[in-house]
Amino acid sequence: MAIQVQEQPFYGLTPAKVGIWWFLASEIMLFGGFIASFVVFRLGATGWAEAARHLNVTIGIVNTLILLTSSLTIVLALAAIQRGDEAALRRFLGLTILLGCAFLGFKVIEYTGELRAGYAPWTGTFWSFYYAMTGLHALHVLGGIVVNVVLLVTTEWRRRSPHRIEVAGLYWHFVDIVWIFLFPLLYLA
Amino acid sequence: MTTHAPRSNYVAIWVWLVLLMAAGVAASFLPGARALAVTAIFATAVAKALLVALHYMHLKLEPWVIYAIALIPVTLVAILALTLLPDFSFHH
Repeated sequence: MAIQVQEQPFYGLTPAKVGIWWFLASEIMLFGGFIASFVVFRLGATGWAEAARHLNVTIGIVNTLILLTSSLTIVLALAAIQRGDEAALRRFLGLTILLGCAFLGFKVIEYTGELRAGYAPWTGTFWSFYYAMTGLHALHVLGGIVVNVVLLVTTEWRRRSPHRIEVAGLYWHFVDIVWIFLFPLLYLA
Repeated sequence: MTTHAPRSNYVAIWVWLVLLMAAGVAASFLPGARALAVTAIFATAVAKALLVALHYMHLKLEPWVIYAIALIPVTLVAILALTLLPDFSFHH
């Protein structure tokens, strides 16, 4: 006997969207755990404010601008695919990838400067937190770039499932939100 | 996301994000009361995160179930921080 599977609408949401939001929920726990622990340690520790002064605020500002702009370009890519504008989609997706690469490039420059100045992950608890949180975030940016490149080059696959741009966008915006909190936490406060 | 619902002006939201970032950076240079500066810095960060979530992630167009999925871990993280906090307060 053949079994028939019928898709049940779930508040009008696609399974992919519910799935990405559950994934993001687990990511909130991951980064939230780091951030909550950092805040608690920061309130109890002495000398962390002094350590934070060695961070390159200018690069932090530039990287914040880059990620905020990349959030704009990927939402414009989504708007493009929804109106069927393939050229605009490719342009904005390409820009998002370039901005992601620029973010990682500046992060490499920043890490290099800090390591040369003698601030390594084992230098102290602040630096361990700094490298762990920003390194994990950078890995997420790299993952987002890979997804966006796949979406950019697989034209036919993308055409058959345009919702993938929205799912990739939700992930990219989340990575942006994480940086929105990491930047003031590490560089400004 | 409701495809036919009115969309935000994405470029205007980006301008607000940049202005809020500039305000947060400016607050970090405020002389005097550090607690006030830190409050201003994180207030601008929360405002930026809300703008991205509501307008770029289109949370404002989503049903309550998406809010529930997103808010459960946020609540758990807040509980984690609050339960850890007394430990450090008593030691320092």
